[in-house]
Amino acid sequence: MGHQQDDRDALRRRCTEVANHLVDEFNAGRLSRRGFFQRGAVLGLSAPLMSGLVGGGLSLFPSAARAAGNPGGTIRVGLTVPTASIDPVAIADAGGLIIIQQLGDFLIYDGPDLILKPMLAESWKPNKDGSVWTFKLRQGVKFHSGKTLTADDVVATFDRLADPANSSNALSVFSGVLSKGNTKKVDDLTVEFHLDAPNGNFPYSVSTDNYNAIILPASFDGGYEKSFDGTGPFRMEKYTPKVGASFVRNPDYWGGAVLPDRLEFSFYADQQPQILALMGGQVDVLQQVVVQGGQAILSNPDIEINRIKAATHRQVHMRTDSANFKDKRVRQALALALDRQAIVKGLFRGMSDLGNDSPMAPVYPSTDRSVPQRQKDIAKAKQLLAEAGVPNGFEVTLTTEQYQEIPTYAVLIKNAAAEIGIKINLNVMDQGAYYGSATYGNSPWLDSELGITDYGHRGTPNVILSAPLVSNGSWNSAHFKNPAYDKLVADYVAAVDLDTQRKTAKQIETLLNDEVPVIFGYFYDFLIPQTKKVKGITGTALSQLFLQNASVV
Amino acid sequence: MTAQTTMLDAEPGSTPIVFEEPRIRSRWSLLFRSGTFWVGAIITGFWACCAIFGPWVVPLDPFADDLMNTLGPPDALHWFGTDQLGRDVFSRVIVGARDILTIAPLATIVGTICGTIVGLVTGYFGGIVDMLVSRVIEVMVALPLIVVALLVLVALGPSTPAVIVVIGLVFTPLIGRTVRAAVQSERDLDYVDAAQIRGENALHIMFVEILPNVLPPILVEMTVRLGYAIFFVASLSFLGFGIQPPSPDWGLAISENYGVIAGGYWWTVAFAAGATGSLVVGVNLLAEGIHGALTG
Repeated sequence: MGHQQDDRDALRRRCTEVANHLVDEFNAGRLSRRGFFQRGAVLGLSAPLMSGLVGGGLSLFPSAARAAGNPGGTIRVGLTVPTASIDPVAIADAGGLIIIQQLGDFLIYDGPDLILKPMLAESWKPNKDGSVWTFKLRQGVKFHSGKTLTADDVVATFDRLADPANSSNALSVFSGVLSKGNTKKVDDLTVEFHLDAPNGNFPYSVSTDNYNAIILPASFDGGYEKSFDGTGPFRMEKYTPKVGASFVRNPDYWGGAVLPDRLEFSFYADQQPQILALMGGQVDVLQQVVVQGGQAILSNPDIEINRIKAATHRQVHMRTDSANFKDKRVRQALALALDRQAIVKGLFRGMSDLGNDSPMAPVYPSTDRSVPQRQKDIAKAKQLLAEAGVPNGFEVTLTTEQYQEIPTYAVLIKNAAAEIGIKINLNVMDQGAYYGSATYGNSPWLDSELGITDYGHRGTPNVILSAPLVSNGSWNSAHFKNPAYDKLVADYVAAVDLDTQRKTAKQIETLLNDEVPVIFGYFYDFLIPQTKKVKGITGTALSQLFLQNASVV
Repeated sequence: MTAQTTMLDAEPGSTPIVFEEPRIRSRWSLLFRSGTFWVGAIITGFWACCAIFGPWVVPLDPFADDLMNTLGPPDALHWFGTDQLGRDVFSRVIVGARDILTIAPLATIVGTICGTIVGLVTGYFGGIVDMLVSRVIEVMVALPLIVVALLVLVALGPSTPAVIVVIGLVFTPLIGRTVRAAVQSERDLDYVDAAQIRGENALHIMFVEILPNVLPPILVEMTVRLGYAIFFVASLSFLGFGIQPPSPDWGLAISENYGVIAGGYWWTVAFAAGATGSLVVGVNLLAEGIHGALTG
């Protein structure tokens, strides 16, 4: 024991002040083992170092782990048809991102446990205030074209993604975080990111969490479907738009042996044919299934469901500048009318976490769970409406999109609102029409008085804390303007240590819970169904599937 | 009938038309003796009663959710089971007749009025007017009607009035063609010539002289179109462009629940689909009965 303690002390002397604080938090019981590994990985502590500091191990990136299955065979995947051409810079849909993810790699892997692991970057570390992050790249990585990966490729990739002229989908992550020209090459295998502002969660922005951020050759100048180049475990064999794609094993993969000979992706327009294909044995795994409509396989004994805790949610925005919702007591009343426990049980069969009217999902280690959970309370809701001068309620239109369970959720909100005298008329639109041009004045999403919008999972809450809620946010459909909140978000994003993040998160949660510009009713689990004859598949809540260790039993 | 009487008064020397009353009586008699008509009338009448009185006779609130009892199979309390929100399917199917039996007839009336006007104008005037309007009708008919309807609904935004207008517009050329053909066969008859000689204007001749004589085919076309309208409304609702939730509309119910059929929850869709099918069959039988009586 004494010898082990000496070793740990020696390791702690090698750590920064922030890392040592993290160890103290763990030792004091204020941080779980998982939370320690999550936060330690963000700060660039290596897996062996973290294991040495607190004992116990850490699972590795899938390819670095020893593949246990049988090599050979074909893994057949059913997925949603990609909505646009395959362009890693612009791609924004589940069907497209899973394709580029087979062909390319990221600097960091953010797995289902939200613990960052090295991928093309071997290590990373921040400066003291988190404004400059230095990444060491893996040596000897080759693109499918045969070219060797260098820092030039990484610099070009992030300059491309951070350039507003490129219609980059990654700008939602990099806006205000990383600007074009601020990714600097130090040497052939070292890159520095000079951030626009200190950011304690930056490694997530260059991880699989930012699905556009696969590393492309510096020479890439568009037209990705001509080359499909990358460093990933599979090479493109054939791509037929709207039909499917096939891939073959990359024999030179840096991460070790890739088990499957081939991958076959079949595109489907809807969830139902995917479910039938899985049940009929035409595919081995689906990219995702949602509970609504997925009941057939959720209770099928031949199908395994990989359930990943996620921050996927729906935002019920209430325009804080509208006559009906300008008084926060009215917003609180509507939030109090919802029976969230029943929604989680009825809509998601319990496969969801409760939301507490802030983006701080339970899955994030920085979320403070001490803020009291909002419960259904009709009497209090009616009292609040009376205090706000609308004891008999009012009539309002809820505008939303035809997407997954959202119309059903809208009906539940309508019924709940009726209990407190608010009459809601529903306007359920086609998804494209709902988003419109996604600019203020031209989008039901951003202009409607009351609406419901889908938000996918993120590895950190940074984007969801900012874009839909800060005063100048580009997705601020609640038109919420609160300088105190803006300041808290800036503090949260800049915080490098978990303790500061948690303290700030608590203030954010308390403020949003009181102001309620947006109702966050639930954060539902991401479900990946597969047949039992396939093993070794890893997925993320961002619709990614890592298939290099997959094998048919 | 009005036209013939007018003609009789205007031209005392012309042959009196005295067979109209017995002919109509004979048509009614034929209609009431038609088994097809009665079966259709009973089915349609049943759903019409559901539409009118449904909300007062259903055993449970069709809109009340019960998240602790979702997708329950048919039992003594919920005769048709419950849907994904725990709502009573039986009550929703009964009350669901109201929307479809409001929208489909209104849309058919809109289409019939517009189509009759188009048919009268093109059939009566002929020539360049007929040629131009007929070409436009051909273009419209050549396009898949559901696609035309979806395009217009995207432009207007989905709402009940929009659905009525869209279906009415889509039916206009179809009904217009039928009316045009009927008007063309009337246009050269003596009573039309007589009206022209009397100096009646075109509007009077079309709507007062010719229209009463082409009413039977219009009536038959209208009842046939009503069946299509029911199917059309259900299709648009299924595609998410029709009636808005939480309406118990049958097409919407199928759209909301078809995804759970594979899980064995057939009752969420089967009863709404059966209701739609039975109403379409009922209206078609009614149309067939009317057609048989008017042409028999």
